[in-house]
Amino acid sequence: MTATISTTSVTPTRRRRRSARLSPLLVAFVLVPFAVESVWVFWPALQGFWFSVTRWDGMTPPTFVGTDNYVELAGDATFRGALINTVIWLVLFGGLSVLGGFGMALVLQKERRFVGFYRAALFTPVVFSLVVTALVWRVFYQPDGIADTLLRAVGLEHLIRPWLADPQTALYAVILPALWRQIGYVMVLFLAGLKAIDPALHEAARMDGANAWQRLRHVTIPQLKGVNAVVLSVIVIDSLRSFDIVWSLTKGGPYHSSELLSTYMYSTAFQSLRLGYASAIAVVIFVLALAVILGYLVRAFREEA
Amino acid sequence: MSDFDPGRRRFLGHLGLAGLGALGASSFLSACASSASGPTTSNGSGAVTIQSNLSSPQAKAAMEKLIETFNAQGKGTASLNTIASETFRTQLPTYLTSANPPDLYTWYAGSVANDYASKNLLLDVSEVWKSLDDYPQSLRTLSTDASGKQIFVPMNNYWWGFFYRKSNFAKWGVQEPKTWTEFLALCETLKSKGVPPIGIGLGDTPWVASAWFDYLNIRINGAPFHRELLAGKQRFDDPKVKAVFTRWREALPYFDPKGKAYPFQEATTALLAGKTGMFLIGTFFADAAPKDALGDLDFFRFPIIDPAVPLAEEAPTDGFFASAKTANPTGTKALLSYLSGVEAQEAYVKASSGIVLPANPKAKASDSPLVVKGKAMLDEAKELTQFFNRDSSDALQPTADTALTKFIDKPDQIDAILREWQAGAEKVFKG
Repeated sequence: MTATISTTSVTPTRRRRRSARLSPLLVAFVLVPFAVESVWVFWPALQGFWFSVTRWDGMTPPTFVGTDNYVELAGDATFRGALINTVIWLVLFGGLSVLGGFGMALVLQKERRFVGFYRAALFTPVVFSLVVTALVWRVFYQPDGIADTLLRAVGLEHLIRPWLADPQTALYAVILPALWRQIGYVMVLFLAGLKAIDPALHEAARMDGANAWQRLRHVTIPQLKGVNAVVLSVIVIDSLRSFDIVWSLTKGGPYHSSELLSTYMYSTAFQSLRLGYASAIAVVIFVLALAVILGYLVRAFREEA
Repeated sequence: MSDFDPGRRRFLGHLGLAGLGALGASSFLSACASSASGPTTSNGSGAVTIQSNLSSPQAKAAMEKLIETFNAQGKGTASLNTIASETFRTQLPTYLTSANPPDLYTWYAGSVANDYASKNLLLDVSEVWKSLDDYPQSLRTLSTDASGKQIFVPMNNYWWGFFYRKSNFAKWGVQEPKTWTEFLALCETLKSKGVPPIGIGLGDTPWVASAWFDYLNIRINGAPFHRELLAGKQRFDDPKVKAVFTRWREALPYFDPKGKAYPFQEATTALLAGKTGMFLIGTFFADAAPKDALGDLDFFRFPIIDPAVPLAEEAPTDGFFASAKTANPTGTKALLSYLSGVEAQEAYVKASSGIVLPANPKAKASDSPLVVKGKAMLDEAKELTQFFNRDSSDALQPTADTALTKFIDKPDQIDAILREWQAGAEKVFKG
């Protein structure tokens, strides 16, 4: 506590001195990345908005069509399916990776024998490229592959189906490998957060007679607020940009049953060469991501204020 | 030429797309729009740049050898850029529209090339064709655009057919069928012996199903209707198209149920291992076959359904077209003349592993019985078609993949499927 007080008393004086004259080096450090960012991020992003109100095949110049693309989106059954799948993906992939990652972090936070090994094992999938992950899981799912063999071994052969080719199971069969990877990543974020909690708080709570559940609910979770914001942003962004694993396993098929907004955008842009329409889908993805994250940030700031 | 078909895209492209998010995507899209610079290439008399998607090891080596020989002849210099197939496909429009494009490209004949030609992006190569008098008329027509000039130079083509293992057919005591009725009877016999009669590989390579659609359509409605349909001049919800699926449905019970889940490469393995009876596929599948199995392979043509319909076969043609904006048209045409010559075509056929037929009628194909039979089949055909995506566009292919895989799963819903297909196709034609 003392440490906090001393920093707050020092900062105002420092800040005043700095704002008097900006060092040219500092200005350069801000402006150069800003210029690079403008060319490579902001300008293309703005152009994306412009393309979304045009019809464009990538060869001839784009023609302005007003809101045609958005009107078409509203009546496009494939887009609606992809939107629903993206929501399912957000809830299942996001929800389960938070639960799984947090659970694993709690189990593995105490230093015990082999705990380093378990942490490393859970984190390993993060290191693999998703395309490699997809190759491994494809072997798992293939007809007479590991999944089928396992089911046969426990007498559940009636459940066997072409996992990635059955429209009932394709989406879930793709979520599983994505989760397998994401849980390790979220676990590491939570582990870092858990390490930062002052053990004195837990000790004080224990002295006051709080049981394990009460300490989790009233000490650990509130203390993780900062990490939660990071995890939420990571989860939302990762869900909406999930593309490679779906594309390498099913390409959104069979017949759009595992289509996400991201895969639909890609196939619209680079297979159907309808870049204007694809830009409109990209804008929708952008708005969705912004809405979820802004919603959370506004709430978080309001609570702090 | 293994890398030419849509399913053989290796999707190396998506490694770079790992971070495709909302903003990332729009920047990616616009990157295509705003990039106006191609690789720096020839100015006047400099080297001719050839952009090749032949990235499989043998094909790449074969191309390198051809270019080396051309350079040694002293008629000009050329340099080869080999690019991963999927990257090549998505970048091709960018190459062609850039201010300083590469000179020469490997690609497909037919509708795809004509489409670029109609946008004035391709070089008129009629001059090269003047020395190709002995090429068959079918190839000349295929290489000619709507305004009557040649814009494409074919290198080779290959064929599709029902491939099977001779030893297995002998073991099962069955013969090649000629008609649809005989074909269905063969399927019934194989099924009674416990062998899934028809292999297919739709997992990851759903475009393989288009071969069934193409063949049934050219056997029932004929090649001209097929081409019109694929060009948007006929409708997919037409009763004539539905008739195709009524026929197809007769064969559906004989398809290998596992074929939905694995790609055509694994369907090849299943065929070779005797786990399926036969497999409608292009000759490129042999790339994935062990050498000792090749001698045991044979094929028969897609059975005749209506003898009144002129015989047509699928013969996808691969070759080259050049950019209209090339700074060195003379050098580019010299290279094209060399590539269309007997010497280069024979060298390519010899060096590349695939079973292909050289486009130059004087060039000798491999003399294996399989190639001789394939050549005879194509020579007998009155009409040649290319393949679904080549007779229409890569943009229309996904609509076919969706419709056909759905039909194989849910044949009862054919009317709804054809309506959706028509709606999807209209969007593609509208742009």
